[in-house]
Amino acid sequence: MNEKVFESTKLAQPVTTGDSWQYLCYVSTWDAFLAQSTFEWSRVFRDGTTVKFGKPSGSYVMLGREKGFPAYWSPSTLKVYPAFEINGLPNPNEVLNPNWDISASLAPSSLAGKFIDDINQVYLHQPSANQIDIYSLEDGQKVGEIVHNAGEYFSSLAWVQLGQVAGMCRTSGKVMVIDYLSSPRVLATGRIDPFKVAAYDNAFHLFFAIGTDHKTRVYCGDLWPNGLSAPVFEPATVYGLKRNLVRVRLTGQDGEPLPGWWVNWELEGVGGGILGSLDKYGNFTDADGYASNLYIGPDDGSAGQCKIKARVVLP
Amino acid sequence: MGLWPLNTVGSCMEYIDNGSCVPAPGPSGGYNKSLLTCPKHYRQSTNSMANFFYEPGNDRLIAHILLNTTYWPGWDVQRYEFNAADGAWSNREEVLARDAWIGVWGSAYTKAATLGSFSKIYACRNNETKIREISWESAEPIASGWWVDPYTWNPKSIYGYAVVNRIDNLLAAAANWTLDCWRNIGTTPERFAQLRLPNVLSYLTYESRNYCWVITQDGVILKADYQIPRWEMISTVQNPEADALKYFITYDTKRKRVVVFRQRPDAEDGACQHQLEFYYPMVKPFQLTQPVPVTSLKAGNRIVLAAHLIGDAGEGLTPYTVAGEMTAPVEGRLTTPFSGTELNGRVCFQYQAPEEACTETLGLKVTVEES
Repeated sequence: MNEKVFESTKLAQPVTTGDSWQYLCYVSTWDAFLAQSTFEWSRVFRDGTTVKFGKPSGSYVMLGREKGFPAYWSPSTLKVYPAFEINGLPNPNEVLNPNWDISASLAPSSLAGKFIDDINQVYLHQPSANQIDIYSLEDGQKVGEIVHNAGEYFSSLAWVQLGQVAGMCRTSGKVMVIDYLSSPRVLATGRIDPFKVAAYDNAFHLFFAIGTDHKTRVYCGDLWPNGLSAPVFEPATVYGLKRNLVRVRLTGQDGEPLPGWWVNWELEGVGGGILGSLDKYGNFTDADGYASNLYIGPDDGSAGQCKIKARVVLP
Repeated sequence: MGLWPLNTVGSCMEYIDNGSCVPAPGPSGGYNKSLLTCPKHYRQSTNSMANFFYEPGNDRLIAHILLNTTYWPGWDVQRYEFNAADGAWSNREEVLARDAWIGVWGSAYTKAATLGSFSKIYACRNNETKIREISWESAEPIASGWWVDPYTWNPKSIYGYAVVNRIDNLLAAAANWTLDCWRNIGTTPERFAQLRLPNVLSYLTYESRNYCWVITQDGVILKADYQIPRWEMISTVQNPEADALKYFITYDTKRKRVVVFRQRPDAEDGACQHQLEFYYPMVKPFQLTQPVPVTSLKAGNRIVLAAHLIGDAGEGLTPYTVAGEMTAPVEGRLTTPFSGTELNGRVCFQYQAPEEACTETLGLKVTVEES
């Protein structure tokens, strides 16, 4: 699970009764999100503040674009158009795919998001719930594929940084950061709560979602700890008057290692005094999720039991 | 950029007072004034407004309004003139004496008139596809005046709203959802670009050889450069009301400001409630969003919080300084006590968290000076 840094008390929902959000996209120039429902275009801020400014027309379908902007596919022209920076509306005077018509079978929808990178001339399509196909905008040829096995379509594909997109699954809450340019593969996986619409905030590298309860939630890229292993000595035999290596490992919900978390170490007596000492009383987990310490056994030859406690403080 | 409301003239005009109660109840033919206060009655009510524009020659705001009346023949069309400086009703006596009558054809056959090139007034027509130069007084076409017919162009078009720039041979016009931009309208007209409107158009007005203004049916105001074309700003009327009947917009080219006429339903007693609103192109702050942490909330971390100072339409505001203050007891440290808004209205604050778990409250404050 990704670390949830914010959950709103304000409700971000369309004004019209019975209406619901279909698309959400981060707009870099606003540092806010453009939400589209059947009857509304609104600007949504991270804290849930929602400002309606219009009503969609022209059957345009929103998709992700590089640099953190929306783009729009038109079913009548089969072209993709950029958005105006001021209000996020489609700009029909500029075409992002002049050389290739994107047919309806490859078009974006609110169930399966698509992505266009007109600088690198790439279009990302989801042929199945487990795969992304890469098409060249120059000639419409498939030039690569990424098997991610998420088991669910990404309802949004949004720009992360040069050559990377984030995919977000509505029901399972699975999120992935995917390289589509240099060596196409899944770079990171994570999980957020199930949502109605979600987007990737490429300014602060956050996942932003509006839930079915209309609350906004902000998740940072860091995964949330799920388990801390018991301290393990390596080698298993502990000697007095010697430095014994002891390690704990911090992992997330899917067993992935969690680097950079603060671990507090403590010695606790078992029916007696504390035996020996620790080298450190606090340090960070490494890239593989491990935090290591040294236990120095008692130097007076005393024997008995002593507990090593390792703790991670969650905010 | 957005719009700063300067002043509002509530109930900017009146209807003709009937002067007595109608119908006169009772056998004696009137209310007994010793027993009750006679309710007000008016002889007019607004049916529809054809045109609203700034007329630079007289420096006045002009409204051509079709009225329903209790007097024969049941309708009336009057030209309402307002002082462009303060919105005062300039021809009140004339209108209340029914002397500003302009005839029905001007208001029935022209619509959405607005200023255009050479300080003249241009309007689309209801009974033909032409766009014509019209008289600001009667709303009738000027004899042998300028006109174009977009229905003879390719593609054939019929417009309800238009901005005429004869100097650059440009026309920006809309029927409903799109603003079509035409060039070479004097020779071989070519539709070179389109702008999609965020909602159904309510009124369109001319600012200059480059810019025009749009107001949608829900009161959202946009400025567009119709030469490129491109949207330049988005804002909204102050306090949009669900029961406002229609919004009209015009641009005062002398004072460089926007004027909105809000058509409102009559009061319960039949009094006219239309109002004039004056806006300067600068945003009035509407709200500060809550600061939201945008980095991991681990103990010992430097945490960044972002908030936005925005106007009514969600447009970012700059330059303002937003001050942050922690509510006691404070366990960490706010390393940025104040922050300036960026172009999108964003402010960022940094907070140094202590090495143990804690709960903190950050309050934000901005001071806005009203001139």
